[in-house]
Amino acid sequence: MSALVVQDLELTAPGGEALISHLNFSLGAGEVLAVMGPSGSGKSSLLGWLTATLPAGFAATGQIHLDGQRIDSLPTERRRIGLVLQSDYLFPHMSVADNLLFGLRGGSRRERRERVAHSLELAGLAGFGERDPATLSGGQRARVSLLRTLLSDPAVLLLDEPFSRLDTARREQIRQFTWEQSAHLPVLLVTHDLADVPKGARVLEIGSPGRARATRLVPA
Amino acid sequence: MAVGQPAALLVAVLFISPLAAGLLGTFVQASAGADLLRNLGEVLNDPRLRAALVLTVFTGGLASVLVAALTSVVLVSAHGTRAWRALNAALPPLLAVPHAALAVGIAFLFAPSGFVLRLMSPSLTGYDRPPTDWTVPDAWGISLIVGLVVKETPFLVLAAVAQLRGLDVDESLSIGRTLGYSPARCWSRLILPRLWPRIRLAFLAILAFNLAVVDMAILLGPGHPPTLAVWLVQLVSDPSTRHVAAIGALLLTGIVIAACALVLLSERVLGLMAARRRRNGQRRPGSQLARRLGQAIAWILTLTGVLSLLMLPLWSFASRWRFPHAWPSAWTLQHWTHRLGSVFEPAVATLFFALISAVFAVCAGIVWLEAERRGRVPRLDSLWYVPLLVPQTTLLFGWQVWAIHAQLNGGWLVVMHAHWVYSLPYVVLILATAWRELDPRWMHASATLGVGYWRTLWRVRLPLLAGPVAQAAAVAVAVSVAQYLPTLLLGAGRQATLATELVAGQGGMDRRSMATLAVLQAVLPLTAFVLALRWQRRQRFAAPVAVVP
Repeated sequence: MSALVVQDLELTAPGGEALISHLNFSLGAGEVLAVMGPSGSGKSSLLGWLTATLPAGFAATGQIHLDGQRIDSLPTERRRIGLVLQSDYLFPHMSVADNLLFGLRGGSRRERRERVAHSLELAGLAGFGERDPATLSGGQRARVSLLRTLLSDPAVLLLDEPFSRLDTARREQIRQFTWEQSAHLPVLLVTHDLADVPKGARVLEIGSPGRARATRLVPA
Repeated sequence: MAVGQPAALLVAVLFISPLAAGLLGTFVQASAGADLLRNLGEVLNDPRLRAALVLTVFTGGLASVLVAALTSVVLVSAHGTRAWRALNAALPPLLAVPHAALAVGIAFLFAPSGFVLRLMSPSLTGYDRPPTDWTVPDAWGISLIVGLVVKETPFLVLAAVAQLRGLDVDESLSIGRTLGYSPARCWSRLILPRLWPRIRLAFLAILAFNLAVVDMAILLGPGHPPTLAVWLVQLVSDPSTRHVAAIGALLLTGIVIAACALVLLSERVLGLMAARRRRNGQRRPGSQLARRLGQAIAWILTLTGVLSLLMLPLWSFASRWRFPHAWPSAWTLQHWTHRLGSVFEPAVATLFFALISAVFAVCAGIVWLEAERRGRVPRLDSLWYVPLLVPQTTLLFGWQVWAIHAQLNGGWLVVMHAHWVYSLPYVVLILATAWRELDPRWMHASATLGVGYWRTLWRVRLPLLAGPVAQAAAVAVAVSVAQYLPTLLLGAGRQATLATELVAGQGGMDRRSMATLAVLQAVLPLTAFVLALRWQRRQRFAAPVAVVP
């Protein structure tokens, strides 16, 4: 069972403004930590630091441990941290199935095909494999994007406002699908909307920019 | 009244008619005297053809493959690094410098008595005299390949950079890497397959240019045998072999078409292989060594270009520079003062052609894009690539025939027209994206204030697009200054520019005089670029340059 531990994170924006100070938290399998705060407070930068994809100019110190192993000096691709962004970024030059095959790790050619077909069925998208991603609805694309990340077998899942671009009718459906599929993982969710936060999740509040910053961890 | 169909049609006629007439003229000339097949047989039986063909395909083909490979290496290894900005700043000047001037600089850099060997001699090489083991130009065409790669790689890199903006590169890299792929694999599987269709035409233009280049091939290519294009230019100057030259020009066009077809076929095959690789899910750790090596290659390439340019002023002011001294031991202004009289006329002619053709090209580009925006003419992006894809020899041999018939050959008007035809595609391709994407609400806002069409165009649209317009004008100047073959053939030797003087000086002129001419030829477009950049900075509200073809 994976566990993510973050110790002594200090995160500074390009202008030198401190975004996050002395942040410590741990997250076990099946737990969700919702990161909330106003725009520009550093929520997405926190995910950027965890995945080593922070834009140039940001400075960060701190430690990341995953299953007891320190990973903050590893490159992105070796951290086993899955990321789902606000836009689904399904690769337009690949079919829906090829997007999933791109994410899937290991297996023979036949096993890979079978797993992708099974995943599509699970998402209610059976028969959509050869479709161009552009022909899918927003909700369908969101499910494929999540599946692609989960098929890469991450040890932690990061979600950066994954529901914000969906219409209200589909949002609840996708939320449910997300929590079902990621129930075995530690999940860090960045959101503006309290309704996105599942029951039992802890909330990390990050203060607004320009004011004295307070980072507060609210227990479940 | 607004910019409409008649003005745009005039632009189209002035642009298309010489291209069509040029092709037709070459075809007519090829079948002159006897019949086309007999003339073709005469060319095919010429013992010089085989060697020229092999050299052309080797130099043009290999240089193009290297340009594509190095562009990928530069993108994969340098994108997103701190060096990326510096690299991007160094590339536009290299793009602005004319081929002939850069070729002279490269010769000064890599010749047996060149700067590279001077830096290493005698301590590392033991040479206290220039070695005789090799020459620049060399018999294999290696110097020509180096010249083409140094000149054309910045072109493709900048074309790629302009297109990357629409591909969500950072997000794709983040997603790809969190899925477990190394940066190099993210590029090869996620970004390059989407980038290629956007830069395909630019690459084909480079391929066509590399196969048919004349000025650089004269300065850096072997002389016996020369490349096919150079041999054809030698043949066309003799009336008795003009039909042979015309047949050869058609043959060269056939080679360019075959090479382009081969690229498109390879694209299909590589595309299928790439799709299979994307599905296999194999991850391998990225190699820091490979990344560093890629960065080193990018820097060596840039450094070669920059050093080649620095060689020009160095030689033009050098008085005594004995081998193996790294730097001149005495400096002089003599080469400049002595040559001032002889270079004045070509310099003025170069400036005249550049300024007038740039002004007309920018005006014509604006007329076309404005008519296109208003739905008066269709979008014809591929048309502008025609002069860039068809070898200059093929178009100009035929164009010259019509110019002679119309008694225009040798006059400035026909030379100016040719410069305009070769500048216009760049102007349109640079302006197009910005012109099409400018928010129409600016014009609506102006119209609702009661401002008329022309005033809105002049006071709102053009100032907002000042950056791309200035950049397009600078590129038009650079293209005109570099034109060698159109000036030579249509000017019939009566229109001397810096390009024609520089190429004519090959073999007969001393290094310092060549350097003086090359400096002058390089300074004109560089000045245009600096002015465009300054203008762009002053117009802080102007839209950024959106695309480089």
